[in-house]
Amino acid sequence: MNMTANGMAMLVLTADRCRTGADLGAWLGQGGGEGLRAALRDRAGVIDVIERAGLRGLGGAGFPTARKWRAVAGQPVTERVAVCNGNEDEPGTFKDRFLLGETPHQVIEGLLIAAVAVGAQRAVMYVNPGLGAAFHTAREAVAAWQDHPLLADAGVALELVPSSGQYVGGEETALVASIEGGFPFPRRKPPFPAESGIGGKPTLINNVETLANVPHILRHGPAWFRGLGQGEAAGTKLFSLSGDVQRPGLYELPMGTALERLIFGEGGGMLSGKRFKAVFTGGPSNTLLTAADLDVALDFESVRARGSRLGTGAMIVVSEGTSIPRKVAEYVEFFAHGSCGQCTSCKAGTFQLAELLRRVESGFATQADLRAMRALCGLLPGSGRCGLIDGAVTVVASSLERFGAEYEKLLIGG
Amino acid sequence: MTTPNAIPWAEALAALAADAPAAAKLGAEEKSALLAAWHPDNKVGGMTNLLVGPSAGQPCPVDLATLLHANALADDMDIAGAATVDTDVLVIGGGGAGCVAALTAAEAGARVLLATKLGLGDSNTVMAEGGIQSAVGADDSLQMHFLDTLRGGQGMGDPELVRALVGNGPAAIRWLIERGMTFDMEDAGHGAKRLRRKRAGGTSAPRILSFKDATGLEIMRVLREATLLHPKITVWNRSPAVELLSDGAGRCRGAAIYSLYRHRFVVVRAGAVIMATGGAGRLHINGFPTSNHLGATADGLVLAYRLGARLREADSFQYHPTGVAWPDALRGQLISEAARSLGAQIRNGRGERFVEELAPRDVVAAAILREIGEGRGVERDGCTGVLLDTPGLERAKPGILAGSLVSLLHLAHKSHTDPAREPMLVTPTLHYQNGGIAVGPDGTTDIAGLFCAGEASGGIHGRNRLMGNALLELVVFGRRSGAAAAAAARSGRITGRANLNHVADWRRALAAAGLPLDVRAPMLFPPVAGFDIAEDRALGRAAAA
Repeated sequence: MNMTANGMAMLVLTADRCRTGADLGAWLGQGGGEGLRAALRDRAGVIDVIERAGLRGLGGAGFPTARKWRAVAGQPVTERVAVCNGNEDEPGTFKDRFLLGETPHQVIEGLLIAAVAVGAQRAVMYVNPGLGAAFHTAREAVAAWQDHPLLADAGVALELVPSSGQYVGGEETALVASIEGGFPFPRRKPPFPAESGIGGKPTLINNVETLANVPHILRHGPAWFRGLGQGEAAGTKLFSLSGDVQRPGLYELPMGTALERLIFGEGGGMLSGKRFKAVFTGGPSNTLLTAADLDVALDFESVRARGSRLGTGAMIVVSEGTSIPRKVAEYVEFFAHGSCGQCTSCKAGTFQLAELLRRVESGFATQADLRAMRALCGLLPGSGRCGLIDGAVTVVASSLERFGAEYEKLLIGG
Repeated sequence: MTTPNAIPWAEALAALAADAPAAAKLGAEEKSALLAAWHPDNKVGGMTNLLVGPSAGQPCPVDLATLLHANALADDMDIAGAATVDTDVLVIGGGGAGCVAALTAAEAGARVLLATKLGLGDSNTVMAEGGIQSAVGADDSLQMHFLDTLRGGQGMGDPELVRALVGNGPAAIRWLIERGMTFDMEDAGHGAKRLRRKRAGGTSAPRILSFKDATGLEIMRVLREATLLHPKITVWNRSPAVELLSDGAGRCRGAAIYSLYRHRFVVVRAGAVIMATGGAGRLHINGFPTSNHLGATADGLVLAYRLGARLREADSFQYHPTGVAWPDALRGQLISEAARSLGAQIRNGRGERFVEELAPRDVVAAAILREIGEGRGVERDGCTGVLLDTPGLERAKPGILAGSLVSLLHLAHKSHTDPAREPMLVTPTLHYQNGGIAVGPDGTTDIAGLFCAGEASGGIHGRNRLMGNALLELVVFGRRSGAAAAAAARSGRITGRANLNHVADWRRALAAAGLPLDVRAPMLFPPVAGFDIAEDRALGRAAAA
């Protein structure tokens, strides 16, 4: 692992020199643009570099980035599109807001390198206008690139498209529909966007954080990037730490750092000295981690081995003072609002789950309601076009499994 | 607060027999010097600066700062499984301001839930004896009332708030009369009657309207009946607010209410919340006795401050000059300023009139403390004070005690004395919180959806309140905040769930400032009540099992 002089893990994406705001001159002045120039010198070799670096999709899936790029690059057509997915809207995730608001040029340069690598003529920054100031900074940053010779050298048309702001608009096929000008509704897969995306063209879609790493990899090389992680894991990861910790915030740590270090080291420990209870990982759509999982290394494989997923790197920490059913009710309400309504099972299912949880949290539920929730958790998964309903079910089922007693206590007569 | 150097009771009675000239009127500089030296607000060591929250850096009495710096009583776990009730407007507090606000909001069409930790009307409003100020006389004007109020507040009041106060005064009196309030009347000739007006300390015209010396009690009677009868108002007695709820985006979304009947929390989600929790006398700031009732524990300040509402003049309290000093059992209870406005004199142990009786309250209180502190006080059975010359008043205006000062008579009766024959021993008593939650003219606070009215609010009285302006304030600002809250509940864009998220932020701030997390507030009930919320909940669980 690369260390700085004082023994702290090295900051890459959140380093001060990257925090240039929309000022392109400042970004290029400290070595920005070198990654893109390297890519332009050897267009065909970029994907190999990314592959050797072991970069993976940091928007939640952890899919190897090089494989995704290869799939787009290998399509037997001439026109392709590359998109940076900046629709971030999950509760507890705020990394893209930081990257777009503070360090937009590393993201844009990453997108341009991706476009060069896959042979795309069009590069789209797809950004949630709900991000407020970060949205405006991203827009200014995109404008700043327009007259720069580097962009002309890349031969890519760069633009910013505001997303609808809806949660579901971050799903890849909904993103395609949205950029095409339609409602942000997910579509059936296959075909995947890599084969047929925007306007039928092969479309590469990567998360903001994934692309932000790309210029650094091209500049410093794959070995350097691999060295940033702990153990087998490569690179760093941004963690959106929130909930009942002393110091919530955005932390960049080596991929593979232990959960305990994040919460009790960076996060300053639990609020009010209350005992740790659980973590909603990667946004709420994943299985809860509990006290037994504090030692888990935060990388894609290790977290998956505990039955959960790293997801976006959001860690919503819950202490003994916070009620799991109330927290779950909050998330399911978010999903119920966020459901696009195309699939009846999702539209009605998230609503019913939200209603049942409301009954639980206000003390009016019975055993029959818990049975109904469990039954829905069995019925609903896989019934939607996208993963939204599965996400809602996962958080309910996992909380019922691990914190069933807490639900029972809130029932009438409990 | 016995002082070794005091003049014995018998000696002081002898000195009282002789007539004494009125005290000289004090100039502005003399007043300032007197206040600086003797007013309890200026007591060395009594103040500290707030360390966390939106008014960090501002001075505040140590006793109040301890509560403002405290950790929350309620956790997210506590409200899980709690019954949830929705309403348009939630009013916290069942005194005068709370009832006026509830009535006004309900009359504007809102569904109102009024939660009070004691019973409806059990508040300081009923203890307001002197009267209510409003410029209704032909020789008076709104302008004079405005200037008197600002001047009385040492120029620290917010002119916009004072303008709203005095400007709405006559309408407030009319509103009270329309709801059945009785005022003392006088003969206007030709068989007609008009409102009887009395002078108050610090005013330039007779402006006090009253009902005997029980004006607050009469106002509360009217308000309580109207509130209980209103079909759109639900009243919850014995239901203190333990924490406000927020929507995570800075808007107030209701409150976690604890029901002493059910021994459980109830979550009330509201479109707007009106804080009408009154004052802080029961904190016994600087060790003073208080005229305040059991509920005056600054709960509203604690809750609003934690949610992010600024306070102002939180370091300024009014010590009423004439609290009972003897007998000890009645210590701190209030003798109305009505006695002085009708002509009763204040004398020290040497029989001297050492202060202009109708000077503003802060000045009179400071002068009394000076007399006591410099050894010219009067001592009776170990209690020290100065004399309120009720026998002299009765001699000058025979029958006045029985006719106009019934509360005073009642108090004397409880101490087994006859005020027509024996003067009363008085000493300043902690009476009123001059500052409070910073508000705008419609009772708005720094927090969207959170309104405030009555003694809990700050900015109207500056650093000293005139007699009669508290009752006027609760009617005027109760009405203004009630109307504004009803409108906000109708039009407010509500996002997010009702949550305790702000409490986590607060706890982080406490930890960062090195403040203890085991001190909890709001106090809800003074220590003498022996109430502990955890024990009370356990009682409920035991009863259910």
